[in-house]
Amino acid sequence: MDSLAYLLAALTPYHIALAIGGVVAGTVVGSLPGLTATMAVAVLIPITFSMEPASALILMGAIYTGAIYGGAYAAILLNTPGTPSAIATTFDGYPMAKRGDGDLAITLACIASVCGGLVGALFLLFLAPPLANVALAFGPVEYFWLAILGLTLISALSQGNLLKGLIGACFGLLLSCIGVAEISADVRLTFGSHTLLGGIEVVSALIGLYCIPVLIDLVATPDRHLEVEDVSRGFRLREALGISWRSKFNLARSSVLGTLVGILPGAGGSIAGLVAYSEARRASKQQRHFGHGAPEGVQATESANNATVGGGFIPTLVLGIPGTPPDAVILGALLIQGVRTGPNLFTEHGSIVYVFIWGLLIATVLMLPTGLFIGRYAYRFIVTVPKALLVPTVAFMTLIGTYAIRNSVSDVVIMIVLGVVGWILGRLGFSASPIVLGLILGSIAEQGFVQGWIIGAAADNLWGEFFGRPIAMAIFAFILLSLFSPLLLSRFRVKREIAGAD
Amino acid sequence: MLTFKRLILAPLCAVLLMLSAGAIAEYPEKPISYVIPFGPGGESDITARHQQPFFKNKFGQDLVISYKPGGGGAVGWAQLNEMPGDGYNIMGVNLPHIIVKPLQKDVGFKTSDLALIYMFHYTPDAVVVKADSQFKTLKDMIDYAKKNPGKLTFSGSGKGTANHLAQVTFDKLAGIKTTYVAFKGTGASVTALLGKQVGAQWGYTSVGAKHSDKVRLLAVAMEQRHPRFPDVPTFKELGFDIVSGAYRGIAMPSSTPEEVRVKLSAMIGRINADGEFKKRMENDGFALVDVDYKGMKAFMDEKKAGYAAAAKEAGVIK
Amino acid sequence: MPTEAQCRDTGGIIVAAIFIFIGVLALWDTFDYTDADSFVFPRTVAGAMIVFCIALIAWSLVRPIDAATRGAESTPRRVGLVAAMLVAALLMPYAGFLLSGLLAFAAIVWLAMYDPWTRRRLIVYPLVGSAIVLGFYFLFTRVLLVPLPIGRLFIG
Repeated sequence: MDSLAYLLAALTPYHIALAIGGVVAGTVVGSLPGLTATMAVAVLIPITFSMEPASALILMGAIYTGAIYGGAYAAILLNTPGTPSAIATTFDGYPMAKRGDGDLAITLACIASVCGGLVGALFLLFLAPPLANVALAFGPVEYFWLAILGLTLISALSQGNLLKGLIGACFGLLLSCIGVAEISADVRLTFGSHTLLGGIEVVSALIGLYCIPVLIDLVATPDRHLEVEDVSRGFRLREALGISWRSKFNLARSSVLGTLVGILPGAGGSIAGLVAYSEARRASKQQRHFGHGAPEGVQATESANNATVGGGFIPTLVLGIPGTPPDAVILGALLIQGVRTGPNLFTEHGSIVYVFIWGLLIATVLMLPTGLFIGRYAYRFIVTVPKALLVPTVAFMTLIGTYAIRNSVSDVVIMIVLGVVGWILGRLGFSASPIVLGLILGSIAEQGFVQGWIIGAAADNLWGEFFGRPIAMAIFAFILLSLFSPLLLSRFRVKREIAGAD
Repeated sequence: MLTFKRLILAPLCAVLLMLSAGAIAEYPEKPISYVIPFGPGGESDITARHQQPFFKNKFGQDLVISYKPGGGGAVGWAQLNEMPGDGYNIMGVNLPHIIVKPLQKDVGFKTSDLALIYMFHYTPDAVVVKADSQFKTLKDMIDYAKKNPGKLTFSGSGKGTANHLAQVTFDKLAGIKTTYVAFKGTGASVTALLGKQVGAQWGYTSVGAKHSDKVRLLAVAMEQRHPRFPDVPTFKELGFDIVSGAYRGIAMPSSTPEEVRVKLSAMIGRINADGEFKKRMENDGFALVDVDYKGMKAFMDEKKAGYAAAAKEAGVIK
Repeated sequence: MPTEAQCRDTGGIIVAAIFIFIGVLALWDTFDYTDADSFVFPRTVAGAMIVFCIALIAWSLVRPIDAATRGAESTPRRVGLVAAMLVAALLMPYAGFLLSGLLAFAAIVWLAMYDPWTRRRLIVYPLVGSAIVLGFYFLFTRVLLVPLPIGRLFIG
């Protein structure tokens, strides 16, 4: 049997060492805000020149998947997504940590990440060529509607005052326009400032809006950062496994959603996490708990974002179109090694592709022990280190991490300013998440809209372009569902309560 | 402010130069930082990565590639001259970007601010269609566009770019009207073509090389046919005077001493002359050019005039 | 008259007014664009933001909100933290990353210190702090090859 041979080729000590090393390095990189999977993989490229393509892929894939998981640590413990993929992890992860369940949240995130990673990699293993077509079926209009679907989360995230959420989202959307426009090359909203020419870098904005307010409040009181009852409680693995088993449908749905979004070249881990979070919330019987430390929220996001790893490799390897930014780097590395991607890669170069996919599966499984272990240390560090060292350490990390994204001092200044703005707004009831949502989804919504408009106008069929395509309509239906299901559900419940009257 | 800085910096540099004159004889003696003003995975990145191993082989030092994306390259170029001019900081530059952007608005740098060292390759513009497209030749396409003005959509990378300027020029020369849909990079623009969101693409020869099983090139904007695509005619053969594409090269901070500039120029030239490098680049659809430090001024003067006129025609500059 | 438990959302009104100003500024900026594709989106968003802000102001004038109660918090320390970080960022190009990072770290240790300074802490904290800063500095410059600013002071 062929696949057995590939599995054995992936199981050599050398490859297992690469997988462990990659996952560990990736987890550490991902947990530091500002260091992204893209950057970690890019740094590695010169090392992979001297490797076999399959080994190089295993190493890069392991780093990538580890980094996506590592992003959860900072999200849970510091309310700061370590990578953009973990944005939605902060919504429930940080409230969990605040009430003393940080260790549980990290273990849950680890289990969910492994589940998502496995689902994504299995889709890659068995269904890559047909699924790659999903990447092509998504045109500008579909991306536009996907961004709008993401924006419907505002209603869930604005914490009481929808108007404030909407204003925040508009502010975020405007922030996304600053700088030289990605397509039209126009200089927008810089008001003559050279600092703003490069636009607001998303990762630095995330660090500013989420982490700086936490630091500002930490320094103001002598209270401990997180509640701790008993530091030596262990992993709480049994408890976490029980919760994971109970939300197996949530994990499965989020993993599949994550894989599908990962296939889309214009989306990526952050959108996958947000979409899965919003669907988990919509499907849950306890919507009120979301945003206040619901384990399902963490599970949905973490399984979806790790599923994008396998999902993203599908168009990368089948079509030569990178599914996510780290995939773009990996694709470049493969090109330089002389490996041509395409459907032939699967039939003619099975020894590369299948050995790699098995290696990715192995790395994902290895993430369970290593992730639990590193997570334990991260948690211990954050809860036991004295405040007078925790605050400067985190502050220093935000400085160095923001600088490193694109080697820019301007980004550091923008990050701090946004942080102060975010803190003030937060005090007045404008939460940061709608702003972040606007910032992330802005360029996708704008590009999709403008391109869709031009294409529709050229075909004299604007209506058909926006409302006549099947996938676009399916997403549109989900938008309506997310907007109106809370209303319908509550009415339904009221009726039932009256009818049941118990 | 600038002159003040120069007043202080110039003598300092001179002193440093004298101190390190011996060292420069062995340039490079440590790794060189190579900044790409775009994100990873794009063509600027990939061609720099192609240079990486050859540089190490020939000169014994690493090229350390890092990214400074933003503003379509403007963020990086605006900061180039603030970097130390010790010869260990170099940056990728792209045409027509460095010519068109400063003409549009104040983007923090002027074309003349950049100390260009070498243009090492270019990616020729090409008209790309899907392999199953109804257009077999460029003539099929022109006929269709003549019958349906505005209906034929082209995807392309950005506005004010090589793709966009080529589209405008071609429309004028062929007497047709087509619709240009800008995407945020060549990758996104190819995806739109493969997904049939658009009828055709203004892409590059490298698109044909990367997706050879799924697309067909109708014409390439080169003087002679590309060795990788011997069957694809040039626009010139078909009667349209278009030779264009995106040029890529290397620049250094303007404080870099003349001696080092000449040295680096010669080094990049040696990589370009390597048979294996040439083979790899051409296999990916790129075309090598050799514009060295000495020939740069004449080359840029010619390109500046050409691109400025095309950009005005395209309406990206007023 | 607002009571102790409920009050008018003055902060919200002020923020909404500022956002209206930002929206108008953005609208004004859009008339400067060369390309038709580039103003549709910001103009729509800025317009929507202004409408939402007006709605919020109207709403806040009618509806009082619950007054938030806050415990003892130190504003000077907050301002100090932000100032320390900003100074470090602005100092970076001149003093280099290492020096400005160390200075910011030291300043923030001092700002975040609520426990008494014992002799042990006086020795341990600076040591641990330097180790963290140096450790990250080497991780970033040597392993991840990030060109952190060296500082013009040191390279002339």
